[in-house]
Amino acid sequence: MSKIETEVLIIGAGVLGAATARELSRYKVDVTLVEKEVDVGWGITKANVGVVCQGRDTLEFRPEYHRTKLLWKALPLMEPLCKELDVPFKRVGAYLMIRNLARKDKLDKLAKRTESLGLGTDTYLPYSELKKREPFISRDIKGGLYDHAIAVVHPVCLTQALAENAVQNGVNLMLETEVEEIQTGDSYFSVRTNQGEIKTRYIINAAGEWVDKIAAMVNADDFVLFPIKGYVGVLDRDCSELAKSLLAILPEEPGDMNIVVPTVEGNLLFGIQLQINRRHDHSTTEHMARKALENVRKIIPEISEKDIINSFCGYLMFRNFEIGWHECEVAMSSRVSRFVNMTIGYPGVSASPGAALEVVEILRNDGLRLDPNPKFNPYRKGIPDFSVLSEKERKALIKKDPKFGHLVCRCEMVTEGEITEAIKRGATTLDGVKFRVRPGTGRCQGGFCGPRVTRILARELGIPETEVTKAGKGSAVVPLRTKQLLEEGN
Amino acid sequence: MVSKVDVAVIGAGPAGLAAAISARERGAERVIIIERAERLGGLLPQCVHNGFGLLYFEKDMTGPEYEKAFVDKANSLKVEFMLETMVIDLNEEGMLTVVNRQQGYKKIKPGAIVLAMGCRERPRGALGIPGERPAGIFTAGTCQRFVNVEGFMPGSRYVVLGSGDIGMIMARRLTLEGAKVEAVVEIMPWPGGLIRNEVQCLHDFGIRLLLEHTITFIHGKRRIKGVTVAKVDRDLRPIKGTERFFPCDCLLISAGLIPENELSKKAGIELDLVTGGPVVDQNRQTSVPGIFAGGNVVQVHDLVDWVSWEAELAGAAAASYADKGKIKRADQIRMVAGENIKYVVPQYISGKDDVTLHLRVSRPGLRANLKVGNILSKRFRSVRPSEMIILDIKAEKLRDARTLKELVVDCKLEGGD
Ligand SMILES: Cc1cc2nc3c(=O)[nH]c(=O)nc-3n(C[C@H](O)[C@H](O)[C@H](O)COP(=O)(O)OP(=O)(O)OC[C@H]3O[C@@H](n4cnc5c(N)ncnc54)[C@H](O)[C@@H]3O)c2cc1C
Repeated sequence: MSKIETEVLIIGAGVLGAATARELSRYKVDVTLVEKEVDVGWGITKANVGVVCQGRDTLEFRPEYHRTKLLWKALPLMEPLCKELDVPFKRVGAYLMIRNLARKDKLDKLAKRTESLGLGTDTYLPYSELKKREPFISRDIKGGLYDHAIAVVHPVCLTQALAENAVQNGVNLMLETEVEEIQTGDSYFSVRTNQGEIKTRYIINAAGEWVDKIAAMVNADDFVLFPIKGYVGVLDRDCSELAKSLLAILPEEPGDMNIVVPTVEGNLLFGIQLQINRRHDHSTTEHMARKALENVRKIIPEISEKDIINSFCGYLMFRNFEIGWHECEVAMSSRVSRFVNMTIGYPGVSASPGAALEVVEILRNDGLRLDPNPKFNPYRKGIPDFSVLSEKERKALIKKDPKFGHLVCRCEMVTEGEITEAIKRGATTLDGVKFRVRPGTGRCQGGFCGPRVTRILARELGIPETEVTKAGKGSAVVPLRTKQLLEEGN
Repeated sequence: MVSKVDVAVIGAGPAGLAAAISARERGAERVIIIERAERLGGLLPQCVHNGFGLLYFEKDMTGPEYEKAFVDKANSLKVEFMLETMVIDLNEEGMLTVVNRQQGYKKIKPGAIVLAMGCRERPRGALGIPGERPAGIFTAGTCQRFVNVEGFMPGSRYVVLGSGDIGMIMARRLTLEGAKVEAVVEIMPWPGGLIRNEVQCLHDFGIRLLLEHTITFIHGKRRIKGVTVAKVDRDLRPIKGTERFFPCDCLLISAGLIPENELSKKAGIELDLVTGGPVVDQNRQTSVPGIFAGGNVVQVHDLVDWVSWEAELAGAAAASYADKGKIKRADQIRMVAGENIKYVVPQYISGKDDVTLHLRVSRPGLRANLKVGNILSKRFRSVRPSEMIILDIKAEKLRDARTLKELVVDCKLEGGD
């Protein structure tokens, strides 16, 4: 077991932890980022719909809320950030729609607020106009506001890119490292992990779903979180044309979130069916699935059960939910010095660049010396995506490396070249490969490519296939050899 | 550009091999099979069990043996192969775009094309089973590949969801490998696969088959730990209070096969919503002239023998198309699925030539009376949706029907369900 000393320890490599690590890598400061999972971005960030909110899409983004301020701070940063990191950022636009004309005053109010805040002008369109633009919407829709600025990103890819770039610039990333206990000293924290002890001056607690538990280790839990479970369904690519933009219905009841979102890859997600839940139970339920489908059919009646190729659940960690509005917690603990809590229930992905900046400010104001890192390089090159390249680009790529001529995943058109590159960038598991370059996310869900990706992983990592896992320890894909059970006389 | 290919066959499974062979035998000069996998045979190499070739060779063979017979013949006829080559596009003009390591990115414009892409398994996500997303969930066919080709076992204690043929065959295979198969769970009141597999794979090995049951929850965070199984009512909805927990470290899904028609869609080929495959005429020509289809890409067969025979029709027709530049569509009479008939293939016949119809009933039952318009009727002691019915009709029988535009096929159950 090693002993590590660092100036800043970030707990949790979700989008918030990774964004903060990357922001801090601009400076000459020792940063360690620990993550309990075998890969980055597998917490709440994985169970996400990837919308880059514009802070004007619901009345809930009141200007006085801290999370609104962080989001506004982040707005101008997200697109350039995605450019630097070479991850997709797509402005899809959004329609916020109503099914009852009596609710039009809410939309008017929203439009007025957007305008008075100088965030631009959203236009109201009646059903007839909406129908022209989005021909598959339900007849029950009366009209809606158009917001051209709404964009989508791939939250896990963004997190991977942030972490990769942070590491390029000197951050120490430790995977499969779980914080188990924290002791407070006079000027240092002593952090016990399953990989040994880490001595650190500052702690940034960005542990997502576990952020309050980590805070409680040092009595810095001066906030209460309500975990709300959210269900998201994934539609087959065949349905991609059903929505060109993000389509949402203005919440009809509190906590109602009914949206259809085109992903950066072009297929559609829908949800988010919310439910107050016991934490850490990530299972999808029949009830949530049925409600979500019922809801989405209010937007696009054509969607049916057989179009759903996958579904997942994640937790929105809301502060102040019990009093009817929710807030984030991005602040130095009022009880423990040099301990910063960082959690945003919604929209943590959109606000992440702003939140990262704010945390850097908090550290600077606390007296941490932040001299510029002369070697800081903001650019990171993404993995080429064969499926979207032109014929010319494809030819050139195959010429450079014939592995790009070997298609391993037929549904998403992923080549062996992309898979080996993903492994070079840190993927060590089937899910790690899947979240970088998508094999197995299509309509056959890995039926064809699963065995092949397993074999490539074993080859590239130099391990037996029986040790390849789906998502880290305890999840071996094929733990036994054929005949092994017979030999062992089981 | 690869120089003048007469017939290009997409897929080197039993259908593709048979189509290519028959195209060569019908005089097509240059026949090339394009296959995305690293070897020939499609699913045959992983089907190490017997039951292949009983009709075609009148011999009980294993999958690899059946495959070898066709591969040898294809080789002797100088059929060409492109392996690890993916067809990524097919357009209405019959232009193929293919990609592989050695040649990179290529376009091929053959004289005719045979689609023989087979089918894929319905995955778990599509079934929307509630629960966690742990490791240890496989489609039966993927598990079969791991065990029989790659040499690995995904687990030691299994539950199989769905009683398709591959699921039942894998239940037996895994038992022979020393694993425990807790149950095969089927939502319908009847098994999804052949009776012969129900008897030889489940009954003979004491593996329980739970009909009218489904899985309502998947447990386990990292690795699957078990499933909740419940009985279902007439509307196939789980009945409260009947839930039972079955521990397992692996769940296999054998819930049906879907013809693989992504390329067909790209080419604008008309698909049959029931079969999931292209609408074809008697020669297995699709709605796009010059593109033919055979085997599981058209309809999911029970027996490989019929896959081969159907693909031979497609291959032969493709050869004449490549030779003459065109062949007449045999679409004078439309075949219509009537009472208790799920589908009929081919969807169109000429009315002039002998024809073999492939059809499935919607509901099982006893004492069935099958009728093709007024020209043919046949009695069956029992019928099941999982057993394809094959019906030969002679051209002279069709003489009277020639003036008709449609022929309706019905299957009345006289002995009840
Ligand atoms: C269904 C759903 C849809 C959403 N849609 C959007 C959207 O469209 N747009 C948007 O902006 N936001 C959205 N959000 C919100 C957004 O996903 C979250 O705000 C954001 O991902 C939170 O990131 P995080 O880094 O705080 O948490 P996480 O991603 O959970 O990261 C925390 C990390 O800490 C690690 N960790 C925990 N405990 C320990 C420990 N003891 N030791 C080491 N590591 C530890 C975890 O493994 C995890 O990787 C959505 C949320 C949900 C649930």
